[in-house]
Amino acid sequence: MERLRKYGFVAGFLAVPLTLYTVFVISPYAQAFQLSLTSWNGYSSIVRYVGLDNFGRLFGDEVFWRALRNHGILLLALPLTTIVIALFLAFLLNLGGGTRGAGMRGVWGSGFYRVVFFFPQVLAVAVVGVLFQAVYRPDEDGVINGVLARFGVAPVGWLTEPDLALWSIIAVMVWQAVGFYVVLFSAGMAAIPKDYFEAAALDGANRVRLFFSITLPLLRDTVQVGWIYLGIAAFDGFALIQVLAGEKGEPDGATTILPITIYNTAFSYQKVGYASAMGVALFFLTVTFAVLTLRTTRRERVEL
Amino acid sequence: MTHPGEITRRQLLRRIGMTALAAGPGAGVLSACATAGTGGGEPAATPSTSLPASADPRNPFGVDAKKALEVVIFSGAYGDAYAKEVHEALYKQAFPGVTVTHTATQEIGTLLRPRLVGGDAPDVINNSGPKSMDLAALAAEGHLADLTPLFDAPSVDDPAKKVRDTVTPAVLANALVTGKNLVLNYTVSHRALWYNAKLFAAKGWKVPATWQEFTALGETAKKEGILLFAYPGQKGPYYQLWNVLYTAAKIGGNQVILDIDNLVDNAWTAEPMQRAVTVWVDVQTKYGDKAYFGLDHTQTQIKQLQNKVLFYPVGSWIENEMVKDIPDDFEYAIAPIPEVTGADKMPYGAIQVGVGENFVVAAKGENPQGGLEYLRIMLSKEGARRFTEKTKNVTVVNGAAEGVDLPAGLLSAARAQDKAGQNIITEARFEGWYKELFDYGTEQINVVMAGRITPAEFCARMQKKADDVKKDDAITKQTRSQ
Amino acid sequence: MAPRTTAPRRMDRPRPGVLSGLSHVALAVWALLIIVPLLWTFLASFKNNTEIFGDPLQLPGALRLDSWGRAWDKAHIGQYMLNTVIVVFFGTAGTMLFGSMAAYVLARYRFVGSRLVYYYFVAGLAFPVFLALGPLFFVVRQFGLLNSHVGLVLVYIAYSLPFTVFFLAAFFRTLPAAVAEAALIDGASHTRTFFQIMVPMARPGLVSITIFNVLGQWNQYLLPLVLLAGAPDKWVLTQGIARISTMAGYEADWPGLFAALSITILPVMVVYIIFQRQIQSGLGSGALK
Repeated sequence: MERLRKYGFVAGFLAVPLTLYTVFVISPYAQAFQLSLTSWNGYSSIVRYVGLDNFGRLFGDEVFWRALRNHGILLLALPLTTIVIALFLAFLLNLGGGTRGAGMRGVWGSGFYRVVFFFPQVLAVAVVGVLFQAVYRPDEDGVINGVLARFGVAPVGWLTEPDLALWSIIAVMVWQAVGFYVVLFSAGMAAIPKDYFEAAALDGANRVRLFFSITLPLLRDTVQVGWIYLGIAAFDGFALIQVLAGEKGEPDGATTILPITIYNTAFSYQKVGYASAMGVALFFLTVTFAVLTLRTTRRERVEL
Repeated sequence: MTHPGEITRRQLLRRIGMTALAAGPGAGVLSACATAGTGGGEPAATPSTSLPASADPRNPFGVDAKKALEVVIFSGAYGDAYAKEVHEALYKQAFPGVTVTHTATQEIGTLLRPRLVGGDAPDVINNSGPKSMDLAALAAEGHLADLTPLFDAPSVDDPAKKVRDTVTPAVLANALVTGKNLVLNYTVSHRALWYNAKLFAAKGWKVPATWQEFTALGETAKKEGILLFAYPGQKGPYYQLWNVLYTAAKIGGNQVILDIDNLVDNAWTAEPMQRAVTVWVDVQTKYGDKAYFGLDHTQTQIKQLQNKVLFYPVGSWIENEMVKDIPDDFEYAIAPIPEVTGADKMPYGAIQVGVGENFVVAAKGENPQGGLEYLRIMLSKEGARRFTEKTKNVTVVNGAAEGVDLPAGLLSAARAQDKAGQNIITEARFEGWYKELFDYGTEQINVVMAGRITPAEFCARMQKKADDVKKDDAITKQTRSQ
Repeated sequence: MAPRTTAPRRMDRPRPGVLSGLSHVALAVWALLIIVPLLWTFLASFKNNTEIFGDPLQLPGALRLDSWGRAWDKAHIGQYMLNTVIVVFFGTAGTMLFGSMAAYVLARYRFVGSRLVYYYFVAGLAFPVFLALGPLFFVVRQFGLLNSHVGLVLVYIAYSLPFTVFFLAAFFRTLPAAVAEAALIDGASHTRTFFQIMVPMARPGLVSITIFNVLGQWNQYLLPLVLLAGAPDKWVLTQGIARISTMAGYEADWPGLFAALSITILPVMVVYIIFQRQIQSGLGSGALK
């Protein structure tokens, strides 16, 4: 009876989420896998199977490789930069104050900073995109270039120089993300017992040493969580690039990441089959990457 | 402004309507053929909806007066008020009590592609703008209604006349998609270089007729802190791709563009094309400003209104687009592309005149008869005249602009067309036929203009892409003979 | 950024004083990097085209409010905002309900195939959303849910499940088992135990993942783009902004664009400032476990 009750409960709790997930997530992906074996154009009523032709074509497609490379850069640079800046700011906020009186303290006004730093996080990506169009304007009327002009620096084509554009966009993503991680890491730091620091400070350790020998090791778990969040956020670069750089990942495709390429291939050029093949390839790359990461950072109980 | 041999405004307007657009030498426009290529595994062509013309000249398609009509308009430089306040109003007047649903968007494809594929098509679509849909793909699935009954229907103004005889011949040549009459191009536009006539008058400058005069003016302007030329580099710099193509046509004749459209081997690497790219890259290097690679078209146009840019490659819609911002000391005028080689196939004065705004009727919509009737109303004298009043642009309907007070820029375009005579540069149709090639071109034109590749490399890259398109049997091929 | 020199405040010991001063400089610089663009947007909504395309550091010549009216009327910002709030509210609520239910069962009950179901959910993390867009359109259409908020909410829930289940399953595993066991022995049903005992215990984790989901769904652009394409009156804010941005290009109405941006930014800011304490503490405690 108890067993039955338990199974009924389990089934009852899983039914709705499993159904929703299967219908709206798994079934479209299954169809996408199927479409990757066809030459469907998105309009036609007849679907022709072409076997693995689409995947063969990927190897020779320079647009695909360029997108893959940019995607890789984004996946590495975004979490790394964000976490470093956020750790630094969180450290200053929490432990940058004087050692007056008992122990370490946050700087004056840390509450204000925390609120302001989080602002960009609540802005929709589309808003951020339009905003940074004005910030990055390539002539002296841009917000950055206007400031530079005051110092006699010639306007910089933030989004029009192929070597610069992707980094300009990563900078926006970092700008937006940092506040979230400052809060996350601040909470982590607040949880570190104060006497750790006091003991170390009495031993004459300076702040930099405090950071590397106490704060960082104790924050390991939190940083790992942050890394996973950011890895997911990197996929959302799509919307930002579309608004900020342009539909095709201008200039010269320098800001093309895989989602952009897949979207254009499917919806602008009517090659739904080929686009699906790109997506499937990306899926296997992601899985490989994820498995490798989990293997190397595997911990006892909590996967996070 | 004095122009030698000035003709009266009335004459000009008649000519815009009547003689316009007998593009290219000869008059065989009607026989222009665009034949469907044989794509590999294409499905058998679905029978297109042919609507028998009924006897009643006031309702030739037998429209059900109670059936609702849905209209989706690309809201670009012409806005969408002309549809809402003119054509839809006229339709409601013709069928009192009928419901007309109106949607305006800049993203036709994003909005409508899923709806068409999903079997929920609106009746009338203005399929224009950078996000327009691939008409050949839609045609292959039978989504587009055949417009032949429309062209053969009696015109609203004179039942004795067929619609096809009330419009400029280019309409019929450009109606063809994979060999069938599926598209109505509604507007007439003039493309070349646009400048501020008042600035030229104030400075005493002359519109340059040769490339030497053009670059010399560049030097003069530079001293005044004005750029000779700029185009918008952001979000599809297609204006400059057009400009380069038209320059190539001026140098080597319309055959250059025809070959490119027909995917002829080495069409992109032909001498006139190479030359055209080279001279414009040269202008950009010497007289341009790289900041414009990051500005979009309205931002660039505002700069021109501030007299920071002399010449801007665009079409006659610009005047209406910027109407709110035009200052008193600014007056738009068109300048032909200067003589490049001294032995260009087309003499100085040649400009591009073409038809635009692609209207289609959905074959599988709720009310295709209503859709055809809507287009017939658009092509009435009243529909066309009021469009012109609203948008300050002329339509394909003969003589419909008569008596309308047109702005200075458009009059300058009419004069330029009059001078050009038969030397009309043709439009490049691969823009609609092979979107992938066109998109690649708009990307690469920035690369070459910014000096990151040489003109020869540009031509080679475009040729390679054109070859890829040619080889790809999933893409429906089309051809043209003029 | 221009280098700023702030005199170190006098403290009882010189070194921390210098450090504290430097800290303030670094923090202030980052704060300026955030405030300046936002302030610029706000000011730009009062400028005219010539001023927007003029010196960026110049203040608007007059307090022009007409652009705000235009943005409100023409761009339907109010409508889009309301749509977004509705969709995100129900989307997040549903996600949290079903996500925590599934995660709880998967974390705390042993049954045949439980690992398999867990990995089935987690696999969803590796799928890029845009890959599913085309087929998803037809699936949603089949159910007659195209161009409806109900359809969008269900899809939001489904796509938020993988991460929610992944995160919460880990969280539930860390909670002590004794309390729940005691409740069960006392005769509470499994369902009651979950809602009355486990959910309150898991509150920090639930809060932090709720915030994550609200932010994610608030920013969603692709799914509504495809699923609401035919019904502009149902669009969400992200679509609205993208549309205004394109429209600004065609109609040269840049002040209107920045007014629209300001209209979308301000209420969000207000809500955030009101709730910031809860958000920050929830975020911190949840992620720490």
